[in-house]
Amino acid sequence: MTTTAKPKWEPGSLTPYAFVTPAVLLMGVGLLYPVFMAFYLSFFDWEIGRDFADAEAVGFVNFARMLNDPQVWEVLGVTLRFGFWVILLEMTLGIGLALLLEKPIRGASLFRTIFILPLMVSPVVVGLIWRYLFDARAGWINYYMSNWFGMEPQVWLGDPQLAFFAIVFTDIWQWTPFIFIIIIAGLQALPSEVVEASEIDGANWWQQVFLVKLPMIKSIIIIALLMRIIDVFRGLEVMLIMTGGGPGRSTELLSLHIYKRAFETQQLGYASAIAVLLILVVFGLSLLILKLSNPMKTRSDV
Amino acid sequence: MKFFNLAATAVAALVIGAAGALANPYEKYAGSTIVISWPSNNHFKVAETLVDEFTEETGINVEIDYLQYLKLRDRQLLEMAKPEGEYDVVAWVVMWKGEYVNKGLLTPLSEMYTNAGLVDPDYDIDDIADAYLQNGGIVGGAKGYLPGKSGGLYGIPFGAETSILAYRKDILEEQGIAVPTTYDELTAAMTKLNEAGIPALTSRGATGHQVTAAWLFHLAPMGGRIFDDKWNPIVNSPESVKAAEFLRHVAKTGPTGISSYGFGDATTAFLQGDAAFWLDSLKIAALSRDESRSKVNGKVGYALHPTDARCGSETGGFAMGIPANSQNKEAAFLFIQWMTSKAADQRIVELGGDPIRISTLQANTQGFDEYPVVAEQLPCADPDWRPLIPEWNELNVDVLGQALTQVITTDDPIQPIMDEANDKIRAIMEREGYYVWQ
Amino acid sequence: MQNEKVRLTYYYTALILLACMSLAPIWVMISTSLKDEVTLQGDIPIWFFFVPTMDNYEAILTGRGKFDTYLWNSVIVAGATTFITLLFGGFCAYALARTRFVGRTFLANATLMVRMVPPAVIAVPAFAFVMLSGIDNDLAALTFLYTAISLPFAIWLLFGFFKQIPVELEEAAIVDGATPLQVFFRVLLPLMSSGYAVAGIFTLRIAWNEFILALLLTGRNSRTLPVAAASHITEEGVEWGRIMAMGTLIVIPPLIFTFFAAKQIIAGMTAGAVKG
Repeated sequence: MTTTAKPKWEPGSLTPYAFVTPAVLLMGVGLLYPVFMAFYLSFFDWEIGRDFADAEAVGFVNFARMLNDPQVWEVLGVTLRFGFWVILLEMTLGIGLALLLEKPIRGASLFRTIFILPLMVSPVVVGLIWRYLFDARAGWINYYMSNWFGMEPQVWLGDPQLAFFAIVFTDIWQWTPFIFIIIIAGLQALPSEVVEASEIDGANWWQQVFLVKLPMIKSIIIIALLMRIIDVFRGLEVMLIMTGGGPGRSTELLSLHIYKRAFETQQLGYASAIAVLLILVVFGLSLLILKLSNPMKTRSDV
Repeated sequence: MKFFNLAATAVAALVIGAAGALANPYEKYAGSTIVISWPSNNHFKVAETLVDEFTEETGINVEIDYLQYLKLRDRQLLEMAKPEGEYDVVAWVVMWKGEYVNKGLLTPLSEMYTNAGLVDPDYDIDDIADAYLQNGGIVGGAKGYLPGKSGGLYGIPFGAETSILAYRKDILEEQGIAVPTTYDELTAAMTKLNEAGIPALTSRGATGHQVTAAWLFHLAPMGGRIFDDKWNPIVNSPESVKAAEFLRHVAKTGPTGISSYGFGDATTAFLQGDAAFWLDSLKIAALSRDESRSKVNGKVGYALHPTDARCGSETGGFAMGIPANSQNKEAAFLFIQWMTSKAADQRIVELGGDPIRISTLQANTQGFDEYPVVAEQLPCADPDWRPLIPEWNELNVDVLGQALTQVITTDDPIQPIMDEANDKIRAIMEREGYYVWQ
Repeated sequence: MQNEKVRLTYYYTALILLACMSLAPIWVMISTSLKDEVTLQGDIPIWFFFVPTMDNYEAILTGRGKFDTYLWNSVIVAGATTFITLLFGGFCAYALARTRFVGRTFLANATLMVRMVPPAVIAVPAFAFVMLSGIDNDLAALTFLYTAISLPFAIWLLFGFFKQIPVELEEAAIVDGATPLQVFFRVLLPLMSSGYAVAGIFTLRIAWNEFILALLLTGRNSRTLPVAAASHITEEGVEWGRIMAMGTLIVIPPLIFTFFAAKQIIAGMTAGAVKG
């Protein structure tokens, strides 16, 4: 990656613009415009089924209400807690397994194929499958818990702590393999001389991992981290199907809360105000990480 | 606009004029297609066969759009708010009727009943259970949703239901428990079953409207209400707290998992033999008889919803009406009328759905153990068991649905929980401008 | 040598366990879809030994549910989204990777930023748009939104791949008098197959599986499969057999696709993440 990309066309040429324009237009209208619209709508009191012309402009009322709404802060807390646990556990498990299993072996590609399958399952279907498995009465998890381990059957999706555990577990099931595959690829791409050199220097396995290997794949770890953080704030479908956000608000992520505000209690303006908050939180967190390391930037400037 | 009115009058005149000449009132509309929005539940699924029979008899084609009932309202609102919607008939949960009418989305049925060419003289609307008709179809009476002279008819009940008590005859006999008629007896029976290791009463309990619905079943009979006559919330009254206490008892003595149960899960528990009692919609009767899903066929008895301070069962379910933006209102009306006629009501019974007419209930007491109970239950159905106001949804999901989850999943004292809920409700009502007349 | 054998045994045991963890829930879904009501209501989970039935599939495919329409809708939306995303995303990534122009850095950063916009934020404005414009029941609107959502990630992935291609190849072509489009399609595209495979599957994954926006923006004739699947959760009882049959039908196409393109995808995924 030492060659500098040279400008292919004369500076000031319009060709690059012709190449980027369609994508820029699509993203602008499809992503940025809705964000501005959300901001605009947050100044109105509007319900589904009413003409927007009749909607009342209420100024900052929705924002004031949001700041004083304990529910919003509760679901933000749930989201952060969920994000913390799934990212911590997925990263630990994914990286740990990758380190244990990094040696190339026969059949590796078959295993990798199997590992990426959960990623391809639609979130709706993931929610349905795990709702079935966690079901208190007919669920398989309760059956094996009581028959193999002699534990009391649990109401997984009806108890705040257990339901939270259930959605974390489900997320781990779906996303750990993804981290695993990315990290293991990173490890296998490490120049073997460096690792061997450290071995010769008498580094033990732990020292090798923490002083040599992990620092060398830092940028990959950050990419994976960034992707997972973004996903945590997108997630709502699995919880919507599995628990509907309950019991209480124990599994109601911020995205799901916005959805419920907008389409269950029909307060489109207020939902938009919370959406603005969501954008701010996601942008803030992402900026923080990008400040630590911007993969795109290093890529283009190296 | 003027021309349009003129044209409409001309068409109406033509219809009235032509009705006599045509042997078949449906002929004029044969070949047209109406689109109906239905929930995907048992009653409406079995009614599919009846829809085919309707098409066969009248030549009017029908397309059914089934949706899970929780998704139904968004879709219907969206379609009805457009200049030209897709739907010609919508089935709504009685709770939504006030909102639909308030937003000007429904056609008053009086528009149709003033058109002689459409109205079947043998229809006999008085035969439809009054509780159902008032609850599902009339909007704008007392409080906006109760019967009254200011009200108007917007829909005909279809897939309507009331609450009854279902019990396992075998279990009660084995345990020596008499069929409870009051809440005290029911509470005692539940305790006794629990001590014998038998799950007592199955119930909904999932956060949100499910757990609120479960509580409301007990609130009315215990003499409670959500609001007093001046829209002051009273969910922290002694009656309300008592209903919440009862609900906690239900969760503790019932089948495992009530706090995650929706209606479907609660049903499955009863059908699988995991509960001795059922206190919810009469739908359970038809489901119990369905051998492919039920293990309790033949073991179920039915009784009136137990009483406490008063007799007060719930009525609920669906009603069908015509969106204001429908392009086929006449055909839509004919469809609704046909589907709720005496003959069709009888067919519904044969197909395994729920009838709405008193005469149908009376004619079918043989073979349907629950019908005598239902016929007896309906007169004391309480139309005001929950307020059918647009804000109800928020109160239901956000406030009560949360508070009651706390009631059934914790051992926290109940009074403070309900006090807090009461304050939240008051704040919402204040925000929505309910206290301007005070 | 003995040590090596022990080590390998551990490796394979661990890998097989993990593979089972990944597959078990998917198998539960597939097997449940093949069970009749009686088997489903048995008290013991049955993994393999039951008499399979196609009843659930029959009920879905022959009912009034318009399954064929929904399947077709899903195919069109996913296909169109993937095609447009790869075409325009490829252009954009190429320009970002290979040229310098005013606003390039800004665009690179902006692309990363818009990738973070959660669908829940788009939902209300999109719904508002449909309500105000009356444009509904339209697969184009859905395709458009999915494309917008997929583009940032696709651009980011493809960017990494373009970077890996030696510049000399293009320079040679330009010397021969090729236009930029010719360079793109004749020289670069053939070298980008694993990049496009991985960008394609991630786009397909969103467009085929997305639920919330589809739920809000589609009507009777334009529903996609995930929306149709969710409507099988009825009030009286969750019909697990049918739901799982629907789920299986949704999941099978991407799974098959993944199996056949696995090599490309994994190569692409890892290369994109590692070497970019």
